[in-house]
Amino acid sequence: MKTETLDRLRSRISGIDAMPAIPIILRPLLRCLDQPAEQIDVNRIVELVSYDKSIAAQCVRMANSALFGRSHPVESIRTAVLNLGMWRVRDLLFSNSLSQVIPANRWVVDPSVFWRHSLGCALVCRRFAEIIGYPDTEKAYLAGLLHDIGVLVNCMIVPNEFRATVEKAYREHIPMDEAEQATLGFTHSDSGRILAEAWKITPDLVQAIELHHEIGDPERGGPLVALVHLSDLLCRLRDLGYGYYEPRQIDFANEPGWLYLVMQFPNLAELDLARFTFTLDEYAKEVGELVSTVFAA
Amino acid sequence: MSNDSTMLKDEQLSVESLTDPVWIRIRDLIYQVSGIYQAENKFYLLVSRCSRRMKAVGARTPREYLEFLTARPNRDAEMRNLLNEITIGETCLFRSMPQIDALRKVVIPSLAEAKKKFSFTKLRFWSAGCSTGEEPYTLAMILLEETQTRLKGWTFEVIATDLNDRSIAKAQEGIYNDYAVRNVPPEFMKKYFTPVGSEFRVNDSVRSFISFNRLNMLDDSKMLFMRGIDTIFCCNVLIYFDGKSKTRTVEHFYNALLPNGHFFLGHSESLYGISKKFRLVHFPGTTAYWKPSESTPKAGAP
Ligand SMILES: C[S@@+](CC[C@H](N)C(=O)[O-])C[C@H]1O[C@@H](n2cnc3c(N)ncnc32)[C@H](O)[C@@H]1O
Ligand SMILES: [Fe+2]
Ligand SMILES: [Fe+2]
Repeated sequence: MKTETLDRLRSRISGIDAMPAIPIILRPLLRCLDQPAEQIDVNRIVELVSYDKSIAAQCVRMANSALFGRSHPVESIRTAVLNLGMWRVRDLLFSNSLSQVIPANRWVVDPSVFWRHSLGCALVCRRFAEIIGYPDTEKAYLAGLLHDIGVLVNCMIVPNEFRATVEKAYREHIPMDEAEQATLGFTHSDSGRILAEAWKITPDLVQAIELHHEIGDPERGGPLVALVHLSDLLCRLRDLGYGYYEPRQIDFANEPGWLYLVMQFPNLAELDLARFTFTLDEYAKEVGELVSTVFAA
Repeated sequence: MSNDSTMLKDEQLSVESLTDPVWIRIRDLIYQVSGIYQAENKFYLLVSRCSRRMKAVGARTPREYLEFLTARPNRDAEMRNLLNEITIGETCLFRSMPQIDALRKVVIPSLAEAKKKFSFTKLRFWSAGCSTGEEPYTLAMILLEETQTRLKGWTFEVIATDLNDRSIAKAQEGIYNDYAVRNVPPEFMKKYFTPVGSEFRVNDSVRSFISFNRLNMLDDSKMLFMRGIDTIFCCNVLIYFDGKSKTRTVEHFYNALLPNGHFFLGHSESLYGISKKFRLVHFPGTTAYWKPSESTPKAGAP
């Protein structure tokens, strides 16, 4: 995007007091999780969960849900956290805190569809990273989770125009960013980047948000951008998208992001991509469970 | 589906037995042998199908059954039986909506676009291993619909082949019960079927576009004659072949297709490790294989 347009967008966003604020628990959560899995402090997580009554209730509800089929009901937050495992609690914390970023009545897209896509993308991105041997799998997860955060910004700053954008995308079966470019003159990548910068999120994540549709020269964004770009595509092709049909044929082996990753991580060339794709349907169930826990009344 | 869930109750399969890690090994074995993938969220299907076979052979636990599939003398026969169990009763008209959508919304429009440049206005589809005809009739109805709307002035043919004479004969009859037509959209039902008693017969307007033939895919001399095809469907057939035969058959399919042609397998079947000539392509909700044209840049795997 042109700097000039970006500057205009930036001043427009900062001029509005509707700019989404960073959720309180997000920063400590990010800090707490920014370390190897085995070093994550359970007590700290339990503490974070306990901050927020609704999150605590969700953890307990999920630990008692059919997916985990306990015979004894789980009551304490600590037991719930231990039963669910660190990753699921983290997923819950993120999706809950991020879904409070904008008030319930400001959503232009269905929030559960949005979180399905974001969480799906996070899981796929992490799995992808593991498979190819990208070292920072947690960063991959976060990049997937946050990549479309600009959609939230759009809901806040240009609600009416964005409603028309979403309707256009659904009606014409075109990608969201294409519809945004046509109706708004900027995309959720642009607005997402501005929000991420305002939230002081690490630069590599900001870049993943900014470039996930227009990856351009893959060298610029590096593997993280390529990972998010491909995971987003896969999710949209596999029932973890925005809930409308995008008629297209994707030859992943010919995607610039893929070609770039193959050069960096040669074992990607040996990946059984068909099988990888089939396993995504397994995530859909996990993600569905999580999202319905967060959005259950 | 409802059959399967009653099945589960009958067999007293608890959550415990569904999560037995041996199922993962059985799933991986099936994938390795046949290329059919059973996602974990559909494990109840895998389990119910295996449990029928377990009853038949007298295996008491998944682990014991795995032994029947790997270590016993007639393990190949048992794998065949299991594959039959897995693919049986799946067949119906309009079986896979993601495949049908991919055809109507992506494949056919782009085929037409490319062919028009050379003033070709005919499409040729091949349903290989068509069994009792559900697939070729589905394809013919879709193509008929297209040639009446977006592709006015175009013609098409569907070649339907199978090894089994009895299946071919049944396919030619084109009479299906209400279970087999349960997925057919109402407007297609009205347009292309005539009720006969409690069943439904495909109208002659559809049949006239299909030629039914007996063809053994392992017969190289016959396969060599198949040429100039735009799109091939071959669902749940290669699963029975050994590795070499798979590779050879897929090679024939490759040669039969025109450049830019598509090759569809069963909904969660893969060609991994069988052929590197085709390119895996993704459509919403489904995958297929694609024959690149000469001008397509070569890419890495897959
Ligand atoms: C499981 S059925 C699949 C039928 C259908 N394509 C479907 O997906 O429901 C397998 C079919 O492959 C056919 N078949 C098996 N071996 C074959 C061969 N060597 N040549 C041609 N057809 C074969 C069988 O006769 C049978 O109709
Ligand atoms: Fe996006
Ligand atoms: Fe996205």
